[in-house]
Amino acid sequence: MTDEIRFEHISMEFPGVLANDDISLSIRNGEVFALVGENGAGKSTLMNILYGINTPTAGNLYVRGEKVTDFSPKAAIDRGIGMVHQHFMLVPSFTVAQNIVLGREPKNAGVLFDNKKAEKLTRELVKEYGLEVDPSAEVRDISVGLQQRVEILKTLYRGADILILDEPTAVLTPQETDELFEVIRRIVREKEMTVIIITHKLYEVMAISDRVGVMRQGKLVGVENTCDVDEKKLASMMVGRPVLFDHLEKTGTPGDVAIEVDDLYVADNRGLPAVRGVSLSVRKGEVLGIAAIEGNGQSELLEAITGMRKINRGHVTVCGTDATGKTPGEIRALGLSHVPEDRLSTGVDKVASVSDNLLVGKQKEKRFNLFGFHQRRSTVDRYAEELYEKFDIRGAGIHTEVGSMSGGNMQKVVVAREFSFDTPVLVISQPTRGVDIGAMEFFHTRIIEQRNAGAAILLSSADLDEVFRLSDRIITLYEGKITGEFKADEITKEEIGLYMTGTGEGAKA
Amino acid sequence: MKKRFDYGYLIALVISLSVALLIGAGIIAITGRSPLRAYGALIDGVFSSWRHIGDTLEYAMVLCLCGLACDVGSRAGIFNVGGEGQLLLGALVASRIGTLMDGVTPWLAIPCAILGAVAVGGFYAFIPGILKVKLKVNEVITTIMMNSIAVFLCVYFAKGPWKNSVNAEGIIVPEAYRFTTLIRSSNLSTAIIISAVLTFLVWYILQKTTKGYEMRLTGDNPRFARFAGIKADRLVIAAMVVSGMMCGLVGMFRVYGAERIFKTTAVSNEYYFEGLMVAMIAQYQPLPTIIISLIFAILKIGAMGMQSVGVPIQIYWILQTVVIFCMAGEKGIRAAIRKAREKRAAERDVLARREGGTANE
Amino acid sequence: MNEFTWTNFAKIASSTLSQMLGTATPVALAALGGLMTEHAGIMNIGMDGMILMGAFVAAAVSYYLASAALGILAAMVFGIVIGLFFALFTVKLRSDEFIIGCALNTFAMGITAYLSRSLFGSDGIRGAAYLHNIHIPLIKDIPFLDNVISGHSLFVYLTWVLVILMWLFVYRTPTGFWIRASGESPETLRTAGKDPEKMKWVASILCGVFCGLAGAHLSLGKLNGTFVEGMSDSRGYIAFACVIFGAAHPGKVYLAALMFGFFSALGLQLQGIISSDLTEAIPYVITIIMMVYVVVSGQRRREHLAKQQLKKLELK
Repeated sequence: MTDEIRFEHISMEFPGVLANDDISLSIRNGEVFALVGENGAGKSTLMNILYGINTPTAGNLYVRGEKVTDFSPKAAIDRGIGMVHQHFMLVPSFTVAQNIVLGREPKNAGVLFDNKKAEKLTRELVKEYGLEVDPSAEVRDISVGLQQRVEILKTLYRGADILILDEPTAVLTPQETDELFEVIRRIVREKEMTVIIITHKLYEVMAISDRVGVMRQGKLVGVENTCDVDEKKLASMMVGRPVLFDHLEKTGTPGDVAIEVDDLYVADNRGLPAVRGVSLSVRKGEVLGIAAIEGNGQSELLEAITGMRKINRGHVTVCGTDATGKTPGEIRALGLSHVPEDRLSTGVDKVASVSDNLLVGKQKEKRFNLFGFHQRRSTVDRYAEELYEKFDIRGAGIHTEVGSMSGGNMQKVVVAREFSFDTPVLVISQPTRGVDIGAMEFFHTRIIEQRNAGAAILLSSADLDEVFRLSDRIITLYEGKITGEFKADEITKEEIGLYMTGTGEGAKA
Repeated sequence: MKKRFDYGYLIALVISLSVALLIGAGIIAITGRSPLRAYGALIDGVFSSWRHIGDTLEYAMVLCLCGLACDVGSRAGIFNVGGEGQLLLGALVASRIGTLMDGVTPWLAIPCAILGAVAVGGFYAFIPGILKVKLKVNEVITTIMMNSIAVFLCVYFAKGPWKNSVNAEGIIVPEAYRFTTLIRSSNLSTAIIISAVLTFLVWYILQKTTKGYEMRLTGDNPRFARFAGIKADRLVIAAMVVSGMMCGLVGMFRVYGAERIFKTTAVSNEYYFEGLMVAMIAQYQPLPTIIISLIFAILKIGAMGMQSVGVPIQIYWILQTVVIFCMAGEKGIRAAIRKAREKRAAERDVLARREGGTANE
Repeated sequence: MNEFTWTNFAKIASSTLSQMLGTATPVALAALGGLMTEHAGIMNIGMDGMILMGAFVAAAVSYYLASAALGILAAMVFGIVIGLFFALFTVKLRSDEFIIGCALNTFAMGITAYLSRSLFGSDGIRGAAYLHNIHIPLIKDIPFLDNVISGHSLFVYLTWVLVILMWLFVYRTPTGFWIRASGESPETLRTAGKDPEKMKWVASILCGVFCGLAGAHLSLGKLNGTFVEGMSDSRGYIAFACVIFGAAHPGKVYLAALMFGFFSALGLQLQGIISSDLTEAIPYVITIIMMVYVVVSGQRRREHLAKQQLKKLELK
């Protein structure tokens, strides 16, 4: 086998984010190569470079030995590269056939678009690759699984022999996933295509790939033959961090139940079930950690508890009061604070100042209001200054725009605000994503401080070491269901990896 | 947030104004007039008599209030394009109330007229507001449609059932109810005092109060506002309604302060759109809104003076829009420059990091 | 109209329909351009200004060169320039579409009135070469139809051809597909190797040309070689409403224009019974109701789709 694609010292920097950091990687002709890593590890960025959407800031790319100089999707298509994006690139109001031929339409008499021919070509492709789909159906009317087929057919129509699949199974049902893998195997076997599949579902890596590359925080941390590794090894490569911390002192005993979740069902953005019958409870003075690989319902679960997402079935109780169906504001009033998963979209107002962002939620308090109306700016600023010091936020002061700060400092703003409410319940999601090691230690200390002071903490993190370090109890989620519950000191990371990947004792094989 | 004075913005404004005056000079010269004499007449047209200064202030007041009304909506993330309709309907209803209450003491009639104008303006803004929040119907398009409907309604009532003037169209407001004129025979009335108070109030609420703060958060990031427990939907509708109420009030001022008679195109000839453009190039900041309103008002009243040397008054629209095109384009040019700079910085960064890395090894 | 007779009714009906065609045509022409920008994802409220400038250029050129054909050609060429100008700001410089459209309308009011007054005096342009109305020989003897269809300016008939051509262009040529994709899903088009921005430029230019034609029709077709200040008379906004109402489909947009024309003509016929100002407002109300309906039915459709998928999952 020869090198089909070679990345040489590729780096990609977006304003303020180093998405790819000096990556060198070869992908061989005719193999299925899996690229794994948590969200934000830089997988998609790397593949967008291959597909010509991103031009790398530094480094070289070779396709079949030829150096790539023109980065554009058009040039990539001409080189025989096809990509199925995570968010489908389809025009909803066009038919299946029209989407497939977009950009290279068959023509009638040299001018008019030949719809019949487009449908005929589509039917031929359908037959050749066994990807059943109705050519004349409008794309917005067909299911997600079928839409993905259209995406694959589109790349095949363009004559691709290198196929990139970005998180192809994220939106598929298990059955659809099996069908997809069957197709991948067939095109690799019969058409000698090279397939690169981006994913964070490890059992899929084992099921489909020949080799696997693991990315973490913009770096490529390892490339292995799939037959030489197992899921546990991959999981530790993906989520582990090399630095060991000091022991955190946990004191006190758990008190009353503060969060109670009973048989909860929640749907994801597409209306598909994401949380399926989850029940849990968190006591005051303990940390309950959720260990799960991304996309197994943990995000939706936390959003449902905090009121950001609609609950389809089941109940949530916060501090003894039913919180089901309440707005985020009402649930906060029951005594809950929330560090959200995605700070940029949910956790801050990017164009407002640090001071304004720290105040949110307290703006109606008496001390910040004159006659319940006039905002006492100097009091607000003094208060912000206080938090700024206390949480060791580093930047150009409380009047800087939050959007211009580094990820770690922005997260400090969020954590400072949420922790300052001193509520009995804290829901924390990805507290240290994209944060440097020093800041991470700081956040961990703070979280344990809150715990020791008697807060009930529900924590979700993609970083398994973090979950272990902070939690008293750990539950594992797999495909929206709880697959296990453990005391943190009675289980090892290796064992929990099994439950996270749905292969643990008692879970489905 | 605290913003230091943006000199780049001021420079852009001065350059835009200069470009507009230059292009205007070119057009004046091509059509065979002397640009110098024309611009001299412009200055004379505004500052040679108190009456014209009064008219200038009145026009600036209208633009400024319309601009601020637009600000109020935009601050909470809803774009009120329907001010024209709200303004006209406000004026219409206020005029009708005036004629109906003829004979009643002004102390009762004027507040009633104000109330009517504000109510109808607010209601007319409420419809697109609720459609946006509840059904996510694009408020820009609905308000554009509603503007046209309002114009037809106004013409209908002023020509038909509510007409009380000898002309084809017009609802005359009883003399007793008219605002006192501050400068004789000018449009400037005591309405400007209310306007000044209102301007201050809007500035105060948007910049200095907790409500203004919540509106800003909602406009910047509605998801974050909801996350933080702010009742974002209600706030958006409220902002839209207040915006409409302000427009209704402007309409009332136009009739009771300046025109004295309701005639659709005289009350507002797309003045709201001018105010909206002012607000947009003022980047929704109150102080620049006042300054640009004054500049445009000077250009408009000055353009009337320019007629004396044979330059058609429409030069005003040309000058005004060239300023707007320049300011709108300037934003794009600045963004392009910033992007290029960021890209270069990223390249430098990566290279430096790499060199640093090899040096360490 | 004291007594109802069928002949009377036919007379009124045919003149109403004839007026409807005449009123709808300039709006429809502009709307055919507006649907291009709408498909390309640009909210174009600057059509009124484009029409007005088109009308002025057509009248002025026709006046000086004594040729209506050259006037129309000039309006179309000028439309290209305006389209380029519009795209420069909205596509290249990413300025707000709304403020540019607004400013374009105001600018058009200013420049046309200014030039018309300085060059032609306060009456505007009169006596430019114009297009004569056409009487179609074939249907001359069919009583009702002749009154409705015959005797219009060339533009009325040209519009029918253009509606069909436009439909072919939008739904049956690759470029049409690309323009639609550039508005609906620009990233899809980009990954298909076509530049969505280029498509937006093309759409913008086409819109300029059609608005130029609409303007030329106003001054050289409808008003027999005259230009009056502000003669576009909010037709750009009506055209915008038609584009929204007709969901940017050429045939439906033309029907929407006919609807606006019909209510306007009806208003004229019913004068004395009900004011034309009220009847002319009706189409706008209908447009808003349509918008709400489209949005709500779209939401229903999505919910339905999700429910179906859910059912499929539960079965498994």
